[in-house]
Amino acid sequence: MKISIKHLAISTLALGLFTACDESDDPMPMVPVETQMVEDFEAANDVIDRATGTIVEERPFQFFSLEQNRQVTEGDDWDLAFKGTTIRVNASKNVSAAIVTGIFDQIDSVPAEATFATDTETEFAIPTGGGNGWYNYNPALNTITPIPGRVILVKTTAGNYVKMEILSYYKGNPPVADIDPFTTPSAHYTFRFALQPNGSTEF
Amino acid sequence: MFRISLIKILLSAFLSLSSQFVFGADRVKVVDSDGEPIVHALIQVDNQKPIPVNSLGEFTIEESSTKNQILVFAMGYETLALNPKEYQELAVITLEPNQESLDEVVVSATRTDRSVEDLPMPVTVLSQDKIQETGGIRLSDVLREQTGLQITSEHGSNLQMQGLDSDYILILLDGEPLVGRTAGTFDLDRISVSNIERIEILRGPSSAIYGSEAMAGVINIITKSGTQPKTLNLGLRHRSFNSWNPYAELGINQGKWKIDALYDYFQTDGFDLTPEVVGQTQNPYDAQTAQVKIQGDLSEKLELSLFARGYLENASGALEVNAGDPSQRLISLDNQLRDWNFNPTLRFKPNQKWLLSLRGMSNWYSTLADSRVASSGEEFDLQEFDQFFHRTELQTDFQANDRNLLTFGLGQIIETVEATRYDDKNRFDAGYLFLQHQWNPSDRFNMISGFRADLHSEYGGRFSPKVSAQYEVSEKFSVLGSIGSGFKAPDFRQLLLNFNNAAAGYYVFGSTIAEEGIRNLEEQGLIAQILIDPASIGELEAESSWAFNGGFKWNPDPRIRVQLNGYRNRIENLIETAPVARLVTGQNAFSYFNINSVVTQGVEIDLGYTFRENLRFSFGYAFLDTRDLDVLDQIDQGDLFKRDENNITTLVTRSDYGGLFNRSRHSGNFKINYQDRLTGINLALRGIYRGKFGFADLNGNLILDDPSEYADSWVSLNLTASKSFNDRINLELGGTNLLNTQTPNQPNNPGRVIFAGINISIFKN
Repeated sequence: MKISIKHLAISTLALGLFTACDESDDPMPMVPVETQMVEDFEAANDVIDRATGTIVEERPFQFFSLEQNRQVTEGDDWDLAFKGTTIRVNASKNVSAAIVTGIFDQIDSVPAEATFATDTETEFAIPTGGGNGWYNYNPALNTITPIPGRVILVKTTAGNYVKMEILSYYKGNPPVADIDPFTTPSAHYTFRFALQPNGSTEF
Repeated sequence: MFRISLIKILLSAFLSLSSQFVFGADRVKVVDSDGEPIVHALIQVDNQKPIPVNSLGEFTIEESSTKNQILVFAMGYETLALNPKEYQELAVITLEPNQESLDEVVVSATRTDRSVEDLPMPVTVLSQDKIQETGGIRLSDVLREQTGLQITSEHGSNLQMQGLDSDYILILLDGEPLVGRTAGTFDLDRISVSNIERIEILRGPSSAIYGSEAMAGVINIITKSGTQPKTLNLGLRHRSFNSWNPYAELGINQGKWKIDALYDYFQTDGFDLTPEVVGQTQNPYDAQTAQVKIQGDLSEKLELSLFARGYLENASGALEVNAGDPSQRLISLDNQLRDWNFNPTLRFKPNQKWLLSLRGMSNWYSTLADSRVASSGEEFDLQEFDQFFHRTELQTDFQANDRNLLTFGLGQIIETVEATRYDDKNRFDAGYLFLQHQWNPSDRFNMISGFRADLHSEYGGRFSPKVSAQYEVSEKFSVLGSIGSGFKAPDFRQLLLNFNNAAAGYYVFGSTIAEEGIRNLEEQGLIAQILIDPASIGELEAESSWAFNGGFKWNPDPRIRVQLNGYRNRIENLIETAPVARLVTGQNAFSYFNINSVVTQGVEIDLGYTFRENLRFSFGYAFLDTRDLDVLDQIDQGDLFKRDENNITTLVTRSDYGGLFNRSRHSGNFKINYQDRLTGINLALRGIYRGKFGFADLNGNLILDDPSEYADSWVSLNLTASKSFNDRINLELGGTNLLNTQTPNQPNNPGRVIFAGINISIFKN
């Protein structure tokens, strides 16, 4: 796994700074929001016997802290846990998530219509299944591809808001045309996220 | 098409009319083969303005200095070219009926014999000559060269017509439906062209007489019926990829009884477009077709016919799985297909006005796919599928008078299916009736109206009306149009499938068993959440359409033929899968629902030009526009996005949307037929164009909206040369895709194929 940071200028952020200068009584001084890129975060699925459907080898979830921008263990304050195409949120630490439709760079605040939920016994905050949550299953190519325009909003263990976009499910973030569903290693997440550390709903 | 026998016609006309022979007559009469004058014939001398014959079919040409060629033509007849010497020696000129018009009787459009000229619907008839000029061995080879038809690769050779797939096209053999489909596709490679007399291509919905599946159109394959006392044809065709096709046709016609038999064997090594991957693109296979047709008069009024056909196909191949013990990864595949038909028919004609036909039709279709680990022979996967289809039908035709023909039909269907992925043996019952009125209130106007009502044990009732009409504005120009409804019943998969993809952990249930399937999963504690109440599943409706077809036939000059058809199909209730329950594993269980609406619309045009008797050109063009209306809704609501390789996400606009995958917006063909008179060699050169088409989604939103998602357009250049010796031996030589264009996104294109063939008639008739 490799985690790198890319500093991306966000126009809305610049706009926010200007307005902050004008309003001296702003209770919440704006902090620059950085977009972080996480590449090839590996979260292998269970090994399933093709003929019987039984799990031959159970694999663990891989835990990630958005607050710390790094992989952590289950005992730590993790925000998200990945295994195969399934993404869980840390319900025990009140992490919740919502899925909204829009362009990542243009989402400058948590929309009012976003409904945050946490994982329960019966329901995941980030729904599974092709077309439901973050990915489409392409039946022509047998590939898993993130749905363009789906942005995951997360309220972290620390209560801060994150916007997050998954870019690829395959190792090395290859173009879709180059993915061979049988040979290209899958369950390697590439995603980017922006965390607003001051607890506000602005990005 | 060529009349090889121009000289023969001249000669026979010359000999048969020798009693009327008048040397140097200045008045010449044009007659048909019955000796009746053809009063609409035209005479053209050396490309001057054509002159009409008089009301007796006679004409004279002034004695003038130079006359190189005299053309005699009449609509509906073969054009005759005479040199001045021949002209001077003839008093009577006999024109043979034109194979492309008068001979072309179409049965599929109305289930009664109708001349193609009078049909108010877009019909194309492919005669034997046209089939032969393609050099094709299987039906797919012939149909891929026709305007508006595409052959795509999807569980076999999948036919596309008016932008709709094989699921929506009814395939008939001598008027009876062929069953046996894989995921909706009827594999056209199952049909050998050896003994096909003609192929009728009927565009637009015909559910009003055929019921389910006849939504985009109908292909009717008419097999040969012997007209000669005895025929025995032996043939052998060879083509690239070690493909061999020996066949034998036998025909006996003893007046009251006729027997036609065929045996056809085909084998190929297949081809491989991706040698780096284990397993071929097309696996090697062999196929045998045996067919017998017996027709006889039991009495003057009663005729019996029996048709039996057997088809056996064996294919073998290999594939490599990417998991498990490396020594166990190579899997060998062994697939078998068996298809048996038996169709007895009784025809009773008590008098000139009434005709009653009682038809039985039974079809047994089975497949077996046996996959084993190559190293150990251990069973990897075994899939069996057995289908039985029976239909009994009574059709009554009543010719009330010259202007009214009524057809009434009544039928019953039993269908059973048993398969590895379905529970138990399943049986469906259906009944139907149809009524049709063919009406010619005047010589210029004719109209066909009718409906069919289907009642089915699974999807309930369907009512399918259709009206079509043609008006002859002038002798040269006719307009025609039709409005009709089509439908496609839910198939076995959609009703019965009980499928568990163990590796991925999801389930798919047919609509009739979804409730039980979900309940079973629930009892096993595998369901996390029910998304759709399973009790509400199961009412799957037939997919249905409304279609409009309209166009014209125009013969501005006897040598020019123009035909145009525009159409629009709007299909509702397309059946798709959707999740019904979420499993504790995070995966889903799916079932089938009526979801999408789709529109296909377009224009198809065919132009034919006879430049000279031995040189003809034809040109075909098809424009096709398709769209999924639900996708358009999503675009309008701003719910669809696309992301480029730089991770820039943008909204998808209507102008980005390219419609359905695997559809070419533009396609066409150009054909030149030439007969060299000196050598008697026939040449048919064809260029078949397929415009760019979307092959797969590459930017994650599952729709066709990005330039990278299109496959390039291409042209297949095909040439066939043939020559006949004594009318008894036919030789053919040629090739398809001569430019060897590779089309990676079209896996049914093997590249250049060279072929040679010989056909010998043992008896001279």
